[in-house]
Amino acid sequence: MADTVGLVHRLLTASLIAWQVTGRVQRDADRITLTAGAQTLLLARGAPPFRWTVTVAGRDRGVTSIAGLLRMVRQLIDPDHQTSRLRIAPARLVPP
Amino acid sequence: MIPVCVLTGFLGSGKTTLLGRLLKSPEFARTAVIINEFGEIGLDHDLIETSDESFVMLQTGCLCCTIRGDLVLTLADILRRRDEGTVTPFDRVVIETSGLADPAPILHAVMSDDALAERLVLAGVVTTVDAVHGAQTLEGQPESVKQVAVADRLVLTKSDLVAENPAALADRLAALNPSAPVLPACFGDIDPARLFDARIWDPSGKLAALADEPHQDHGAHDRNRHHGRTHCFALIRDQPIPAVALTLFLEVLAEHCGADLLRLKGIVDIAESPDRPAVIHGVQHVFHPPAFLNRWPSDDRHSRLVFIARDLPREFAEALLDAIEAEVRETTRSE
Repeated sequence: MADTVGLVHRLLTASLIAWQVTGRVQRDADRITLTAGAQTLLLARGAPPFRWTVTVAGRDRGVTSIAGLLRMVRQLIDPDHQTSRLRIAPARLVPP
Repeated sequence: MIPVCVLTGFLGSGKTTLLGRLLKSPEFARTAVIINEFGEIGLDHDLIETSDESFVMLQTGCLCCTIRGDLVLTLADILRRRDEGTVTPFDRVVIETSGLADPAPILHAVMSDDALAERLVLAGVVTTVDAVHGAQTLEGQPESVKQVAVADRLVLTKSDLVAENPAALADRLAALNPSAPVLPACFGDIDPARLFDARIWDPSGKLAALADEPHQDHGAHDRNRHHGRTHCFALIRDQPIPAVALTLFLEVLAEHCGADLLRLKGIVDIAESPDRPAVIHGVQHVFHPPAFLNRWPSDDRHSRLVFIARDLPREFAEALLDAIEAEVRETTRSE
C-alpha cells in the first residue's frame, strides 16, 4: 500500500518550487500543513466521494483527485497563475 | 499525407542559405516553401532560387505572434490550389520561420487545425545554429533556446569559419536537446536526406535516441541545464503505467506547467497495452494523439519520458507521476 499522504507531501513540496511560490509544507502523521504567504492550508484524506479535504480558515473543501487537489491549492496560494488545458491535436503522429 | 517541415533558427544562422541549397537538389523538387520574415518588406524569397517544380510564398510579420492564423490560411490555400492544379502538385511543405520566432505556436498551428490535419503531417523541425555566434546567441536570446529545444535536427552552420570544432557549443546543444542529431553544414551543403527524415514516431529515429538517455539523476551539477532555466531530463519507469494515469499526468503538467514544457516526448509501457508501446509527443500543452507501435523497438521495455523544459524541476514531474500512479492503482483496487 503506497504512502499516499507521503507522496502528496512530496508532491506539494516540489510544487512550491515548480510554481516559484515561497512557502513550507509539513507532514504530521496523516495531515499536511501548507503555509504560503498569508494562507495556511490543512490537507487530509477525505471521506468518500472525496479523496482529500482541504481546510482553509476553518472551512472544509473536498476534492476527488490529486489533479483537483493541486488545482485547488494553486488557486489559493497562486491566484494569478493562468492555467492552460491539455489539447490533443487532430494532427496524427503517424501518417496512415 | 503531405509532410510539413519547419525550418527555424536565430537571425543570421543560415536558414535561407540552407533552404536555397536544399531547393536545388532533386530530392527537394516539388516543394512548397512558406517564408516568414519579420518586417514589412521581405527579401528572403527573392534570394532563393528554386526548380520549376517548387515555389516560394512570403509572409511578413512575426509568424508566431501576429499572423499565426494566416499560416493556417496560407496552408489551406496552397492545398486548395494544388487540388485545382493551379500550383505544382508539391510533395512537401517547408515553413521557414523568422529568426525571431518562437517556434512553438507555429507547431501548434500546424498540429491543431482540424482541416489541415487531414492532409498534412508534421514531419519534423530543423534548427540552424551558427557555429561562430551560436553560443553567444544561446546565452542572450531566449527564443534561440526554444528553437534548439524543439528541434528534431540541429544544423551547425558556418562550421568552416571556426578554427576547430566548437566543443562548448556542441556540449550546450547536447545539453539542451540530447535527442536531436547535430549535423555540420558549410554554405548550406548538407545531405537533404538527413534533414527532414526525423520521422518523429519512428523508433529507429528519435526514439533510438531516447533509449540512449542516461538512466540517472543528473543531480546538483546538471550538464543538462542551460541558464538555470531550460534543461532536459528523463523519467524512467520500470512498471507499466495505466493509461488513465498517463492522461492525468499530462493534463496536470499542461495545466500547471504548459508554457514551460517546451517539448515532451516518450515511449510508454501502457498497462493495458503491454505489447504495443505508446509514443507520445507534445509541444507545451498541445500533444499529438498517442501512436501505438506494433512492437517494442528493442529489448528495453522501460517507459521513457524525455522533457525539455524551462523552470520545471524534475522532482515535480517525478513526484506528480508517482502520486497519480498511486492514486490510480488505489482507485482500481477499491473498485
